[in-house]
Amino acid sequence: MRVPLLAKFAVRTMGRNVRRTFLSVIGVGVGCAIAIFMTALTMGSGEMRVRAIAESGFGHLRIVPGGWERTRDNDLRLADWRAELAATRSMDGVRSATPHARTTALLAFGTRVTGLEMLGVDPEAEFAMNRIVRMISEGRYLEPSDRDVTVIGHTVADRLEVELDDDLLLTVVGKDGEMEYAMLRIVGIVNTGVKDIDGTICHVTLDDMAGLTGLEGAGEITVMLDDPGILEDAASRLKSLILGGGDVLTWKEILPDQGGDSESDKAFMDLLSGIVVVVVVLGIAGAQLTAILERRRELAVLIALGMKDGQLVGLIFLEAVVMGVLGAVAGLLISTPLVRYTATTGIDLTNLMGGEFSISGVLLDPVMYSDMGPWMIPLAFLIGLVSMLLAGIYPAWFALRIDPTSALSLREA
Amino acid sequence: MNDVLVDVRDVRKDFHVGKITVNALRGLDLEVRKGDFLAIVGPSGSGKTTLLNLIGALDVATGGAVSVFGQDLSALSRRRRAHLRLMSLGFVFQAYNLVPVLTALENVEFVLELQGAGGERRETAMSVLDELSLGELSSRRPNELSGGQQQRVAVARAVAAKPRLVLADEPTANLDSENAEALLRMMRALRDEHDMTFIFSTHDPLVMSYASRVVTLRDGKVISDEQKNSGPDEHRRVN
Repeated sequence: MRVPLLAKFAVRTMGRNVRRTFLSVIGVGVGCAIAIFMTALTMGSGEMRVRAIAESGFGHLRIVPGGWERTRDNDLRLADWRAELAATRSMDGVRSATPHARTTALLAFGTRVTGLEMLGVDPEAEFAMNRIVRMISEGRYLEPSDRDVTVIGHTVADRLEVELDDDLLLTVVGKDGEMEYAMLRIVGIVNTGVKDIDGTICHVTLDDMAGLTGLEGAGEITVMLDDPGILEDAASRLKSLILGGGDVLTWKEILPDQGGDSESDKAFMDLLSGIVVVVVVLGIAGAQLTAILERRRELAVLIALGMKDGQLVGLIFLEAVVMGVLGAVAGLLISTPLVRYTATTGIDLTNLMGGEFSISGVLLDPVMYSDMGPWMIPLAFLIGLVSMLLAGIYPAWFALRIDPTSALSLREA
Repeated sequence: MNDVLVDVRDVRKDFHVGKITVNALRGLDLEVRKGDFLAIVGPSGSGKTTLLNLIGALDVATGGAVSVFGQDLSALSRRRRAHLRLMSLGFVFQAYNLVPVLTALENVEFVLELQGAGGERRETAMSVLDELSLGELSSRRPNELSGGQQQRVAVARAVAAKPRLVLADEPTANLDSENAEALLRMMRALRDEHDMTFIFSTHDPLVMSYASRVVTLRDGKVISDEQKNSGPDEHRRVN
């Protein structure tokens, strides 16, 4: 296939002023690299946030009884939770599913009392899914055969001034509205290092929860997916599996603050990338215009020869496309080492954050990682090409206004 | 008359330079007939290039009418004028004005590509270069050619699409007499063999000696129109 001369013309034009072409390409490349790096950080921190949410016991999805989303009533129970749990675990894309039941409780030891939300769990499934409960500093986590025992957070233990094997007095509101009392022996203490989280942990087995509250079964099934990217699809498939009238909520619905933060972060990074691209576009437009000014006579000759407006604009934009492609390649060359470093080593914010920290009960890692992947290539070319095409608009408009009569004389065009 | 290609009637062209109006052409009349090898001469500022611009559909007259191939140019849109230039007119410029990043062959082929010529355009361009004895220069870029060679390639570019009318602005101004004469012989041969019409704007006595007709301008008007029967080495051609 023969390459059109217009394309050869555009490509060879890059070699006329190598220094300017090089600087323009580097300009576009730096813009691409900044945008790629910011996007990589946004995507990486977003993925880490979702993983942290899922591994902090919230999962990616949650099956709840009908009406729970409106009332947030912890006394509601799933109609046929065992069947729903089995169906959920067998669904493609589900890594794990674990049942929960919640109730508000008072824990007392001597004269000291603290209130919190107690969680009934399936010990084996919970230990596998929830990284917080794996941070046992003393004792052990719950076992399926455990009865009348609990695992509490380090801050709860501090507040109550209790230690392992102490017996706590538990007070909950029972099924009929009556106060129910029980003694729970502490078998484990969790220490995440984050007081906000350690002050909320009080786990018992589902059977103990049923015995204490008089409410049988699970109030929710927390689901972790293999790929968080299929969130909406998995939610709709899961919805079709539930026959007992329950709802399926995503983590964004369970933790709207976290979802909103995620969107805000993305919007902020997009805005920064946009500003960078605008600055690059303005800089490159100046260089492009200078190049057109230097070629006024040549372009006047082309117009005189009969080149149509569309062909002239096509030539200018073709040159912009060539520059954009080179800029995208430069952008990838500049950004790849940076993204690779931050994807593998990360940016350690420990000094800034003082170790692990929590937002809305989600335990977050102070080391920020970027996401590195094939998505960088189309993004680089998109930014490179869009930047150059935008930068080419004014020079192209200027070229269309060149007076062709200057081709026939030695006057300036 | 059927063989009138260009009909200029009472044409005026004014330029505005700040608050000053320059009357470049002041009611000029001219007919150019098929086969003319016409030299437009006159002192600087007499209106030669302005007239060429108007005939070449590069500019629009302030008054009067310019008709090329029977089309009133003032009635044509910018796009239609571009189409006319591309399909029916050839241009040769004083400064050659070849595209520097294209080879001689590609410069000739480029016009054919702009015209939308098909896959045979490279062969057509090569045959034009061969016809003008420029075949061995086909792969050279303009900066690898002498002035005379560049101007011959420029002529090849102008005539590649077999235009009916070729406009040449001071084509020999940058050439020595040997190259200038070779160029003029080549252009006259093109006229004879391909039935083309040439209009030159020139100061060069050599061009005038080759011309079949010499029109002299002064102050934007035709002051003489001399029909010659022959030029150097030229057999008489009946117009």
